[in-house]
Amino acid sequence: MARDYDHLFKLLIIGDSGVGKSSLLLRFSDNTFTGSYITTIGVDFKIKTVNIDGQKVKLQIWDTAGQERFRTITSTYYRGTHGVIIVYDVTNGDTFANVKRWLHEIDQNCEVVNRVLVGNKNDTPDRKVVLTEDAQRFADTMNIQLFETSAKDNINVEEMFMAITRLVLRSKLEMKERQNEHKDIVNLKDKKRSSNKNKTKCC
Amino acid sequence: MPAGNSDVYNIVQAKFLATEIVKTIHLNVSIVDGPSSNANRVLALVEYNSSHALFVLVSSRCPPVSFSDLSIETVVPIDQHFSCETEPVTEQNYVTLIIKYRQTKYEYNVEIGKESCNFAAELIRAKEVATDNKTNFTWLEKYFGTMNQSNRNSDPTMSDRSDFVIVRNEMAQAQTTNNRESRLKYQLKLRESEFTQIQEFTIFIGTWNVNGQPPSVSLKPWLSYDESPPDVYAIGFQEIDLSKEAFIFNDTPREAEWQKLVMDGLNPNAKYRLVALARLVGMQLAVMINNQHYPYVKNVSFDTVGTGLLGKMGNKGGVAVRLELHNTSLCFVNCHLAAHVDEYERRNQDYKDINARINFKRNPQAIKDHDQIYWLGDLNYRITDLSNTQVKTLLIRNEVNTLLKVDQLNQQRERGNVLLDYTEGDITFQPTYKFDLFTDVYDTSEKARPPAWTDRILWRGKGIHQVQYRSHMEMRISDHKPVSALFKSEISVIDPIRYRKVQEDLLKWMDKYDNEILPQVTVDETEVIFDLVKFREPQSKEIIIANTGLVPADFEFIKKHDEPFYCKEWLRILPYAASINPGEKCEIRFEVNLETDVENLEDILVLHLKGGKDIFITISGKCQKSCFTQSLSSLVRIQVPILNLTEDEWDQVRKNNTPVRYSVPRELWLLVDHLYRHGLKTRDLFESCALHEELIRIRNWLDYGSQDPIPGTPQAVAETLLLFLSYTKEPVIPFELQDICTAAANNFENCRQLILMKLNDIHRTVFIYICMFLQELLKYSKDNSYDAKTLASLFGDILLRDQIRNSKPQASRGKANFVYNFLVNDLSSSLLPR
Repeated sequence: MARDYDHLFKLLIIGDSGVGKSSLLLRFSDNTFTGSYITTIGVDFKIKTVNIDGQKVKLQIWDTAGQERFRTITSTYYRGTHGVIIVYDVTNGDTFANVKRWLHEIDQNCEVVNRVLVGNKNDTPDRKVVLTEDAQRFADTMNIQLFETSAKDNINVEEMFMAITRLVLRSKLEMKERQNEHKDIVNLKDKKRSSNKNKTKCC
Repeated sequence: MPAGNSDVYNIVQAKFLATEIVKTIHLNVSIVDGPSSNANRVLALVEYNSSHALFVLVSSRCPPVSFSDLSIETVVPIDQHFSCETEPVTEQNYVTLIIKYRQTKYEYNVEIGKESCNFAAELIRAKEVATDNKTNFTWLEKYFGTMNQSNRNSDPTMSDRSDFVIVRNEMAQAQTTNNRESRLKYQLKLRESEFTQIQEFTIFIGTWNVNGQPPSVSLKPWLSYDESPPDVYAIGFQEIDLSKEAFIFNDTPREAEWQKLVMDGLNPNAKYRLVALARLVGMQLAVMINNQHYPYVKNVSFDTVGTGLLGKMGNKGGVAVRLELHNTSLCFVNCHLAAHVDEYERRNQDYKDINARINFKRNPQAIKDHDQIYWLGDLNYRITDLSNTQVKTLLIRNEVNTLLKVDQLNQQRERGNVLLDYTEGDITFQPTYKFDLFTDVYDTSEKARPPAWTDRILWRGKGIHQVQYRSHMEMRISDHKPVSALFKSEISVIDPIRYRKVQEDLLKWMDKYDNEILPQVTVDETEVIFDLVKFREPQSKEIIIANTGLVPADFEFIKKHDEPFYCKEWLRILPYAASINPGEKCEIRFEVNLETDVENLEDILVLHLKGGKDIFITISGKCQKSCFTQSLSSLVRIQVPILNLTEDEWDQVRKNNTPVRYSVPRELWLLVDHLYRHGLKTRDLFESCALHEELIRIRNWLDYGSQDPIPGTPQAVAETLLLFLSYTKEPVIPFELQDICTAAANNFENCRQLILMKLNDIHRTVFIYICMFLQELLKYSKDNSYDAKTLASLFGDILLRDQIRNSKPQASRGKANFVYNFLVNDLSSSLLPR
């Protein structure tokens, strides 16, 4: 009845320095936000257990330093990651332009991995410079789901983390399905269908 | 527990947690091969959550007066790897207790007597209970740590502890997950009322000893006695088959036949499904549930225990079924205890054995740990002290209560010998045993057994309300009448929405806890910037790591992917790993010492917290270039001190784009020339240790240039010369030539050819230049006390220095021999450049 968790996944948050990676994690794990900016010098992680379709999924979410000079070191933390969250700042065009580089970084360091694209700081419309349509068009061409969030105002944060967790869970179940093609196919397909149904639409 | 020992027993119990029950102890135990007078060991059998372990304690006083007199010496889990035997000691009143655990053997001498017999019997019983190898022994983990090291090593019987260690490791790994799971379980239990509500279920319990009679009548009068259908049925039979085959092979067609009658006899106003059927020889227990509740039944399990012949056979004993209905755990036990009027103690023992040995192999494993327990069966307790006639007379007068006072079960329960904590409803029905077959007439046979209430139903647990307790006289095929009881029982039903909410709350709470106990530190500086770093002039900087978390933080600098070491060769970190307690700080010292040609200091260190985050620490600093650490081919291209060059000029020099200006480096010439003029007669020229500042001054004099004379004594200049030659980018005799040089060392002509053919002009000139200077030095050997061998040995290691600094110079002799050739032969003619 009280099993600790059914699945354990490692998620990684990457993106330029100052886009709000740590804030997103803090909002999701502790439901807090602090206005003062503290650069992450290193990599830190938090534990968060979520319930997806009755399955307890334990997440170990890694928050990485975004600064350019740490790029080579942080890339070594990609190993063993199930899902990657690429964050840019909707009020800073450069951070969006750099998303391509981050995607490339993932390709270099991960084999197969689920990804979501996140435009954070989506809370002050007059300061927004990366338009949703542009970001969405880019996301579509890269075949990646887009979320616009605000860690500050707690907009879409939970939805985004749940979406990447669902993607990762679905991949795992699909892989299991391929492994035992003759067993329990019906059962797994049911699960798959329900996870598709619950997939969150981006805003 | 023997009365005199009860104080000691309490002292031993004090060594353990309250939930870890000391079942029995044995005093005055000595180890075999030890001094027999030294009977200072205490054995204790300890139970926790139905797993047992044997503890051997050493007592500093005999008997112990306080728990601090006792220290734990050995811990042996009682599982399938455990065994216990006894062996008599010849001509003595002692017996040896041989305990084996896997390959490990422990032997103890104990005095023969009741105490030792009891103890051995308890050990064997504990082992019997522990047949399931999944028994959880994590609770023992904490005691391994308390065993003192000397005991572990010195005791010869424990020399082979490898298996034990494995057991320990497995447990350690399981610990964290287990803790989390049991914490969650415990918290859920605490908050159960928030997500459950009580729902009343009717439970029908029936028991009938059928005396081996064939199943031939409808059971409806018994099982469908009540109009409204119960939710749960638990129906127990005894003696369904008295044949030898059933007894020996535990196989009987009667099982299915009776079960069919049961299913047919259930209340027709509802549909039922069989949940579980357990049988041992003649004892059979079936649990059925109304179809509509079936989806809420889970974790069904059953077990059987024989307590009959030899204490093991299934002619007597018990069968039990456990299940969870919604959120309440139920256990039904059908028993058939020992027969005969006088055997009530045997019946008590059977009851205890059933409790001890029933093991459902899932949690909870034991009968006693269930929320609700229904105990039924032919318990076989009789009426004592009254004759057949007296009983019958009282029955006719309907003085049931007088009879119940002398009922053995009631008496034994009052004395706490059996079914303690169980409740039985008021008996208003006639004794159910013994009837002439097919009649309602008590035994008229020769034996004329007095009537007795052998067939009983009791319960234990919260929220159980009995509404009926009766016998069914119209069932006449057996010498017993069936008994039934109807209960309204409170079952805790989970509200899935509220359950999920509580569960999510708890997960959140546990995540919070997990995040809080991650090691946390702050570092006062993540960027360490050094001032201008110069050759052989070490600098250091400190940072402070403060443990701001709740747990000790073990940190370590770890190497980055693809790098051989956790920091660059010019850096030292002290300490590079340590543990910091919460609230405490640790100072880390970074030392740089430049001994190679490095343009800028640049390194990113990864400070790793064990089980936690990583912090990056950036080390940076500018380096001042120096004539030391450069290549000879660069140095011969510059005519001015190295620091007088612009970056561009130096860049060109390094790329060998400028012409060679000198045949030997300017700096080398300055040093050698100075020694030539002032040091030839200096005793022990190369052996004094100059002050560090003196060497720095000479280095600066060379790098910056000056009109002043060289600042330092001849010895300091000589040491500078050795340093200079030791740190050039490549040695005077390049690494790749060193092997053939030392191989040729015993023949001057070969050595000469090598120098001529293999060495480039610059290196050759420098080599000859040094050797000629040394020859000059040897001319004054009376004054400076040097001979050719000493100088050859000193310069051999430098001119042919090893690739890895500080490595043991194995080929020193060969190198010295090689140089020696050039100190004792004439160099003037053919070796100099044309």
